[in-house]
Amino acid sequence: MVQVIAGSVISSLTLTVVENIHRMKMMKGVKVNRRSFLKMLGWGGAGTALAGCDMPTTVTLEEGKEEVVSYLSPEEYVIPGVGVWYASTCTQCDAGCGLHGRVREGRALKLEGNPDSPLNNGKSCMMGQSGVQTHYNPDRVTSPMMRKGNSLQAVSWDEAMAELGKQVSSVSGDRFAFVSGSLSGHQSVLTSELLSKVGSKNHFAYETINTSIWQAVSKDLLGDAMPVIRYDKAGVILSFGADFLATWMSPVHNAGEYAKFRQGERGVLVQVEPKMTLTGGNADLWVPAAPGTEGVLALGIANIIVSRGWNKVDVPASVKTELAQYDLNKVEKITGIQGSKIKRIASLLSERGPALVLAGESTVGQAKGYEAASAVMLLNIIMGSVGTTIEPSVSFPENALAAKQGNTSSLKAFAQGLSDSKYDVVFFYNSNPIYSAPEALGVESGLDKVKFKVALTMFPDETALKADLVLPLNSAIEDWGTHVAAYQGGSATMSLQQPLMEPLYKETKGFGDIMIALLSKLDEGYKQFPDYYAYLRTSVKNMPAELTGGALASDESFWNGLLQKGVLKTTGVTGSLTATLAVAKVGTPTDHLDQTSLTLIPSARLGLWDGRHANIPWLQEAPDQISKVVWDSWAEMHPHTAAEMNLKNGDIVKIESKSGSIETQVAITKAIHRGAISVPMGQGHKEYGRYAKQTGANSLSILDPVFDHKTGELATHATQVKVSKTRKNQILIKMGGSDVQMGRSFVRTVSADQLRRTEGGA
Amino acid sequence: MSLSNILDNLSRFRQDAESERYGHHDYEHRFGMAIDLDICIGCNACSTACYAENNLPVVGKDYFEQGQAMHWMRIERYWDDEELEHPERGASFIPMMCQQCGAATCEPVCPVAATYHTPDGLNAQVYNRCIGSRYCSNNCPFRVRYFNFWSFYESSWPEPLNQQLNPDLSVRDKGVMEKCTFCIQRIRVAKDSAAREERNMIDGDVITACAQACPTNAIVFGDTMDPTSQVSLAWKKHEVKRGPYTHKEAKSDEEIRGYRVFDELNVDPSVMYLERVRDSEV
Ligand code: SF4
Ligand code: SF4
Ligand code: SF4
Repeated sequence: MVQVIAGSVISSLTLTVVENIHRMKMMKGVKVNRRSFLKMLGWGGAGTALAGCDMPTTVTLEEGKEEVVSYLSPEEYVIPGVGVWYASTCTQCDAGCGLHGRVREGRALKLEGNPDSPLNNGKSCMMGQSGVQTHYNPDRVTSPMMRKGNSLQAVSWDEAMAELGKQVSSVSGDRFAFVSGSLSGHQSVLTSELLSKVGSKNHFAYETINTSIWQAVSKDLLGDAMPVIRYDKAGVILSFGADFLATWMSPVHNAGEYAKFRQGERGVLVQVEPKMTLTGGNADLWVPAAPGTEGVLALGIANIIVSRGWNKVDVPASVKTELAQYDLNKVEKITGIQGSKIKRIASLLSERGPALVLAGESTVGQAKGYEAASAVMLLNIIMGSVGTTIEPSVSFPENALAAKQGNTSSLKAFAQGLSDSKYDVVFFYNSNPIYSAPEALGVESGLDKVKFKVALTMFPDETALKADLVLPLNSAIEDWGTHVAAYQGGSATMSLQQPLMEPLYKETKGFGDIMIALLSKLDEGYKQFPDYYAYLRTSVKNMPAELTGGALASDESFWNGLLQKGVLKTTGVTGSLTATLAVAKVGTPTDHLDQTSLTLIPSARLGLWDGRHANIPWLQEAPDQISKVVWDSWAEMHPHTAAEMNLKNGDIVKIESKSGSIETQVAITKAIHRGAISVPMGQGHKEYGRYAKQTGANSLSILDPVFDHKTGELATHATQVKVSKTRKNQILIKMGGSDVQMGRSFVRTVSADQLRRTEGGA
Repeated sequence: MSLSNILDNLSRFRQDAESERYGHHDYEHRFGMAIDLDICIGCNACSTACYAENNLPVVGKDYFEQGQAMHWMRIERYWDDEELEHPERGASFIPMMCQQCGAATCEPVCPVAATYHTPDGLNAQVYNRCIGSRYCSNNCPFRVRYFNFWSFYESSWPEPLNQQLNPDLSVRDKGVMEKCTFCIQRIRVAKDSAAREERNMIDGDVITACAQACPTNAIVFGDTMDPTSQVSLAWKKHEVKRGPYTHKEAKSDEEIRGYRVFDELNVDPSVMYLERVRDSEV
């Protein structure tokens, strides 16, 4: 079971060992005690690293008594009982948090945030913690597989690569497509290289959970797509469906900033959304506006502000006149929110500023999502947030390494291409559209028209099982990589991913290794690199001084420093903000609502995410933060709505959209609007290993093909469904017997006013 | 043996609860926590970190339904405004795990002293002494003791998941009670390192897996006997003392946020919570 690091295979890890030995040699003859010695190496987590001497009685090296020299031989590299922490990067979502991984006896055991990463400052989320279960997952693909007849059969890498080379060199450029999730760093460079060598422009970076519409609106109205959001500077945050503590942009980073916002002079959080998200659960005021009416509400608030003269920035009369049509009565009627409450929100923005107003999924996931987000952005502009709580972006200075963010407009484009029979060869990397794309887009049937489909994947997911060639990837813990997160909260950092251990399986390969091997077939120049590590090493050596902060990248110590710290902090390029005042033509729900249907909310969860983590047992068993349900899907309904249909907890309902239907159990909650039904995304896999398969229902599959008219993003919150009772029911399995405290006061609550009196707000 | 044991434990327990000195030990440390419910966002990072650190089994849907989940750290979520149409003030989250009570009600009832108090102020569980009577969990007011009704080893860690198991602690088998240990393996390592370096432990030498992971730093862990530790400072600021229940009226301002859950039972919990805040003007 214990994996001892072998010196024979030229695997990436052997190379780390070689690196370390090399570093040790440089220090030969210098007497250093073990503590400072370990610190000097790339063995991150200075304090914790040494705390890793878990079983001191079995440790033979006594501190200070050993010289460096005796420690050099690879056999002794693994010290029984000693855990060492290496820096790496989390790849469980595209936020790109830095990690420290604890390695003992050659096994990676525990992941923690890397304190040197300015993104997550040593912290991590539940998905980051679960990286080890992705890696040690019992359902990994362990050898290349090729379709022979109707089934996938194990083949050798030689055979797989020969076929791949043949396909890629014979496909005509524009008939080649590459589908991935968000990509950055050198993996992105190699992907672009492959596409350009093949002569194709068809890269589809696809992520269901994204912030594209927010970025599009920021770009158009503020002149900067990715402004830095200063939660910590805000006195009041008004969030229209932006679940920034869980699924929006960079959750761990945001949570750290949120803590600063709550401490000291305590900021106020108001959340507007039809179904309570984790962020909504933390709000001082939670406002369930009718689904799809958030844009109207934002303009209604803006109208109050400008008519009372509370705006902090001059507003031209023409804008005021336009806003005037959103008078309180009308807004109250459309949104279902009491006028007094709307006024209160408006006055909060004016009294408790600096204000910060955000727009996230439930608001932007509409056919007029762009307009809704624009209406929200207008509040930022008139409240003077631009320049105070919203600061100019800071972007990574090297474009080729910067993030290519995934979105759903690329999914739409890809699906269109499929139905037009545009592709002969398609690669899928970190992407499983057969599961996550709405069935109405016809991805699954469209793929039948593609002659050769290649899945670069760790798991037998729905898309991989449809492929003609499956190439088993190393896990993030076994692979090299570099990552430049799209949103970094003001820093410009590249995070290094280094293998924490030797690959578990002989027949898996790193993504970069496969790309290098493939590129070598298309371009002689790549033959100089035996593998991805060699390529990465050379690229880092050649980094220009403006990326390295003046340090000489060709210097060995630069690379060593990078291995040790895990992050390269560089000086970013600062953008600039110029606000444009305009009143968006927001949609109203009459455009699409009818009274007998409910709005389907396929809410995103920190945990199963877009379904990619449904195969992680810890995350399946972790109760949903709000509903506390485990292991299954559920449909959240308001008690009033449920009563009308005579439904109780655990009753199985059929949820039918124009595009399909699913069945799942009812979970009654008041944390949802009466007109909505929420089935969180992530469950209902048909494949994807033992933990994911046949667990729950896939709410993404029945979404109607409605897209935001401006950006082409999937309108995730615009599907209307009919709900009907079936005769089936089951026991709703959730954590905790009671939803209320029954006077026991586990959680006690004080008012902010009392807090100010007693703790002085500090 | 067991009767005298119980009586002995009981008298010690009462002594703990009632005496000024609050304890029968010559404590070396008394580890404790301060958890700020105003910045705990209920995200589950702590709880998942605990699974990763402490070899907690995944029991699966059916056993979960039977209430046999083994989440040493669970995030409870309550709705407070029952009469309203919607929970307008959000949810109330509380991370709940063993409170490492100074006068633990679980300890005196164990017929074989498998759960006992350590000189570090921990309520320890000796797995190979535990006979599975489950008296302790019956007697725990916080419901944070978890019994292995089954042997979960094979179902929870099919190969190669088992390679992730933390070798610093065991996997508990059928018939044994378990619960949060304040990551005792981390404490032990830190103590040993300090001893090797011939120094006293200092604040920050140990951080539990949950506190380490928490994205908002809601959990502060440390030695409540070290007056300069972060946790001691927090306890002091919020006027929560070790030992018997401090009535709110005894505080300089009864609105100060610190409190211990079920403090009025005089079990001397080692975890202080800070009240969640909601802006009632909003
Ligand atoms: S936010 Fe994303 S990158 Fe950061 S720890 Fe969680 S999964 Fe990993
Ligand atoms: S202190 Fe350790 S054992 Fe206890 S809940 Fe936290 S992580 Fe789990
Ligand atoms: S990790 Fe921190 S914020 Fe998240 S639930 Fe635990 S204590 Fe609360």
